[in-house]
Amino acid sequence: MAKCDLSIELDHPDRVYVGGDKITGTLHVLADADVNCKGLEISSGWRTHGRGNVARGTTETVTLFVGQWSAGQRESYRFELEVAAWPPSYHGKYINVDHYIDARAKIPWAFDPKATAEFVMRPTSGPDHSDSPTATAVGGCIGYGLVILVLGMMAVGLGFLVVAFVVNPFAGLIAAGIIMPLMGLIAAKKLLPKWLLGNVHVDLITPQVAPGGRVRAQLAFQPKRRFTINSISAELTGMEVCVSGSGSNRTTHRNTFFTDRHELEGAATLHAGDRKEFNLDFPIPDDVPYSFDLSDNDLVWTIELRVDIPRWPDWTHSLKLLVAPDGRSGERLEPAEKHLALDAADAVPPADSPAADEITFAETATHLWNSRNEDDQLYRLVEAVTGMTFEIDTLIERRLLYSGEEDPHVYKDGYAVWARHTDPPLPLVLYIPHELADEFEQAGHDQWRCRGTIVGWDHPHRRLQIKVLVR
Amino acid sequence: MSQPAKTSSAVSEHQRTSQQRPIAHDCTPSLAPRPQSRWPGANWFRNPFGELTRSERAELAVVSIDEIVAAIGHRSDADGKIVFQARCAYQLIGECGRGKTTRMLALHKRFPSASYVYLPEDQPCPSIPTGDPLLIDEAQRLPWRIRRKVLASGVPLVVATHNDLSGPLRRAGYTVTTERIGLSLSVTQLTEILNRRITASRRDPLRPVPRIGQDDAAELIRRFGTDVRSIESYLYDIVQAQVNQHGEMRFID
Repeated sequence: MAKCDLSIELDHPDRVYVGGDKITGTLHVLADADVNCKGLEISSGWRTHGRGNVARGTTETVTLFVGQWSAGQRESYRFELEVAAWPPSYHGKYINVDHYIDARAKIPWAFDPKATAEFVMRPTSGPDHSDSPTATAVGGCIGYGLVILVLGMMAVGLGFLVVAFVVNPFAGLIAAGIIMPLMGLIAAKKLLPKWLLGNVHVDLITPQVAPGGRVRAQLAFQPKRRFTINSISAELTGMEVCVSGSGSNRTTHRNTFFTDRHELEGAATLHAGDRKEFNLDFPIPDDVPYSFDLSDNDLVWTIELRVDIPRWPDWTHSLKLLVAPDGRSGERLEPAEKHLALDAADAVPPADSPAADEITFAETATHLWNSRNEDDQLYRLVEAVTGMTFEIDTLIERRLLYSGEEDPHVYKDGYAVWARHTDPPLPLVLYIPHELADEFEQAGHDQWRCRGTIVGWDHPHRRLQIKVLVR
Repeated sequence: MSQPAKTSSAVSEHQRTSQQRPIAHDCTPSLAPRPQSRWPGANWFRNPFGELTRSERAELAVVSIDEIVAAIGHRSDADGKIVFQARCAYQLIGECGRGKTTRMLALHKRFPSASYVYLPEDQPCPSIPTGDPLLIDEAQRLPWRIRRKVLASGVPLVVATHNDLSGPLRRAGYTVTTERIGLSLSVTQLTEILNRRITASRRDPLRPVPRIGQDDAAELIRRFGTDVRSIESYLYDIVQAQVNQHGEMRFID
């Protein structure tokens, strides 16, 4: 059996790389026998490992060699690859993020030899969070709306209870056993603290902060009644949250690795109408990890505000904080997932363009194939190319027994088929009209050329959806 | 009246120490340690008992699929290849963490003609391709209407389920073989399952890695029974607690 060994030698294995850097090194190959290599590929990227489901991303892939090696031959290939700008290297209890150089020799009819080298990456800029936390205010219209909603639900529940008692007292008792504790819980959590505190205004002034920076927020309320408190506090918490398994086996694991409690006010008596305002301003240590959201592996920072009221439900409110590098200047590097997506988006015409004269399906498929491990980038790409029509060379894999009858792409009396693009082997779902049934049946497992329009992405099976057109 | 925040001024010295310092010693700040510095004595690049990708699970599976293959297929006289028989079904019934999915993934890896479909909970049924055989995980979630369609095709089936589906399968004309899995787990089997994971996490192929011994495996079975997932979860925490230790790795307290 053809076989060879690969090993990676980084030029600077101990260097801490910065996002967007180039990492260089040498890939050594030792062939134990005559080997026909269909592609010696090397790529840079990152992977998570630990308790959560594995998330990964590829930054750059290069083919260094295609051809023959003879037995005993030693070869060395220099490489230079881009380092992902995000996420940072991180080693925690449940979540680890590592950056890698991965090499693989594609050998027909044999296991592909592989080699991996790790390196450390420190970002200079954060991810492009469009959903970054914003200042929060509880109270005003929203606060009153919430109160009205809760009161409305309680009224409906009570009404239902009364009717149930009249119609069937036994059923009424069961309903009361369910509804009353529920209403009690809602009242305890939301309404009772509000009854004493009135509307509480919370404003997170610095939704994003860098390690070593300061968090600033405001908390204000005007008590409606006179009451005593044990304390008013703000607690900064850093937590790993990851998910393992899927479906009914899905389990969430949490590990709090950092807490920092600040007392805004100790035990005191608050008087009705005496407005209280607190300016939170406390430092974030300069050695804490950054926030990140990598599919099922998240590192989250929160500020938990609490008014501790003796013999009364506490008022609590949680603010989400983004801890990220502060390099958001003119020299800011874009996050890892951006470059390929934007390159591709620039390269292809807008989504509403009916035809794609400037780009072939092979080029489009290559972009999608290179982005297959990075969902955000992939979805942006698919969105950009949806609606475009191409000539497509496919290899038919198998027909679908069930393709979702609600699927609007399936032709009436037509077929849904799994296929692959010839090169790269991008998985496809082809929606084939009844008129072409004979044509694609005759193709069997051979190459079949069709003309089709990209209509979307099959998320569960990670396949590009293509509606085949009758010529 | 605006008041600046007091930093735990009313908190005792003991509380201050416990509340204001980072709890975790193993969180990595923006400057991560060298990857090689973790488990310095164990020669691992990761915790071996963490979550694996689907393909890694298939690669490291320690399960026998011969019985399944024998029940629904036969070796062709012409080329010696396995041919799966239409309207033959193999049913795996068992609790979570007993190896149903691992067997399915091992089958999928061995037979490229097979199709693996996982039916998620509380979500629409995904597309179901034909397969030789077709492997359906969590088959008890298959809606009646789609189940009828799939069974009508007569494709060779392997189903992993929590409920016995032999009734509907037989009514559709299938010959059904049922295996209840997870009833037993041998010390040898568990030792191999865990040591394969350890080997797959080896950093330097020329240096040794710690091994799970038969005594350790026997103790784990005594504590957790046949639930391999719980055993792996327990070992994850044990290994993680020794991330910075240079001494010998201990798997059992």
